[in-house]
Amino acid sequence: MKQTAFAAFVAFWSFVASLGALYALAGDPSPAGQDLPEVSMEQVAAHNTEDDCWMAIEGKVYDLSDYIPEHPTPASVLTPWCGKEATEGMRTKGYGRDHSPAAWGMLDEYLVGELAEVD
Amino acid sequence: MSARKIAALVWFLALTPGLVVLIFMGPADFDSAGAVLNTAGRLTGILGLSMLLVAAALCCRVPGFDRPFGGLTKLWQLHHRIGAAAFLLLLAHPVFLSLAAADVSLSTSVATLFSNTPGLWLGWLALLSMMVFLAPSFAFFGLPGYQRWKWLHRLSGPAIVLALIHTLLLARTLPGIWNWILWTVFLAIALVALGYRWLFSRVWGRHRYLIDEVHTPANNVVELVLKPLGEPLDYVAGQFVYLTPYDKNLEAGYREEHPYTLSSAPGESGLRIAIKDLGNASRALQSVTPGTEVNIEGPYGDFFPRTEDGRPELWIAGGIGITPFLGRLRHLAREGLPADLHLVFCVQDESRALFLEELKTLVDRIEGASLSLHFFYREGPLSADFLHRHCPDLTQRHAYICGPVPLLHLARKLLIQAGVPQHCILTEEFVLL
Repeated sequence: MKQTAFAAFVAFWSFVASLGALYALAGDPSPAGQDLPEVSMEQVAAHNTEDDCWMAIEGKVYDLSDYIPEHPTPASVLTPWCGKEATEGMRTKGYGRDHSPAAWGMLDEYLVGELAEVD
Repeated sequence: MSARKIAALVWFLALTPGLVVLIFMGPADFDSAGAVLNTAGRLTGILGLSMLLVAAALCCRVPGFDRPFGGLTKLWQLHHRIGAAAFLLLLAHPVFLSLAAADVSLSTSVATLFSNTPGLWLGWLALLSMMVFLAPSFAFFGLPGYQRWKWLHRLSGPAIVLALIHTLLLARTLPGIWNWILWTVFLAIALVALGYRWLFSRVWGRHRYLIDEVHTPANNVVELVLKPLGEPLDYVAGQFVYLTPYDKNLEAGYREEHPYTLSSAPGESGLRIAIKDLGNASRALQSVTPGTEVNIEGPYGDFFPRTEDGRPELWIAGGIGITPFLGRLRHLAREGLPADLHLVFCVQDESRALFLEELKTLVDRIEGASLSLHFFYREGPLSADFLHRHCPDLTQRHAYICGPVPLLHLARKLLIQAGVPQHCILTEEFVLL
């Protein structure tokens, strides 16, 4: 039992260290640094159907049309947010719980632009 | 119900949340490598927390609660195993979730471990606390001191609270209400147990005694004779207690509780406790003076069976492991009860044969009792030959073994090889883990 617990303890920190090293070496592949087109809230609002669904989340705009069928809940849970500022939906999932970091990470795949700031 | 069945039931209780969660899972939770890893990550988290709470509940130390488990030592072992399982599962939990997120991207995998959300940091704090309070239990950095270990183990309380808040903030597997019901039930079990341990047992569960006499049967062993200052302890022969001395002049162990076996017979007006110098606190007690007040908590242990089935008994004692047998012999002699028993007392040499004269007298007084001495310096380790020579019908007997761990293992092995059924062998360890 002692050896197993110690081996698991060492393995855990080895994993965390390897992941950290890999991340440091591979760099951050997220497209945050790229030049993205500015998208206004009016433009987002034009994509407000299940088949053509854009959402503004935390200052970025995503085209989630292809993702809606993949989402664990029925499409009807997501479609009300199409064409809208959907940060709240992402942060609370409707009952106060944030989406997982994995879910946040998946968003990057659907990024189409930066939300234009309103004066 | 047998101790084994009760232990299995406790494991089942600890596994229940995992089974409940399975009801709420669908094919989507298993349809890709990432989904399977994510499911594994959530399951390990849920099971880890439920096991942590069950392990916490098992350390309540209610006198009598330990007996169905086969005594407090066996209960501690179950607590240790379930705690170890919780630790392994909770180490695997973030690893699985992080690996599952690698399905999306490397940065997501890192963000799963290190993103800046309160729930996540609470989880980290809980896990790091767990590593700290379990490091001594698994001897990560060498064998710990008993008091430091106990002190560090108290970190388990905050760790559990942090882990629960982490779970309530981040759990996404069970629908909200189920999540609350599940963790409220488990938390309630743990709280009742810990509440008993930290409040009730400290205020009402202890018996006040006064050290009346101190005898010295050998140069590193004392037998304390205690007289009750309040309600006396109700116990059976062979049980043990936690003793806390209140003597500031002691070199060590002032206000520290340590477990010691009772060597007195139930029915005596006071308690007798034989203590060998095995550590700082027990060494300090070698020079304790009469008149010192002590607190006694217990009784614990379930060494001797409550019902006699008439089967003769073989007792194997090593060194200070004689104490529960001494208590039982004193009890049998005091009550004038016959008992078909043979005691093999294993010691290094004649000078270590504790209480020998009294043992001989007691054995003479009890009808059916006999005694043989095994000297290590003369005969080497206990052997099958020795046992057969002194107790030819040993396979017909219930065996009780108490002493140092190597003797315990050796005697058990010899008895099993000789054909004594496993369930007829009972052991009482002095080492808790």
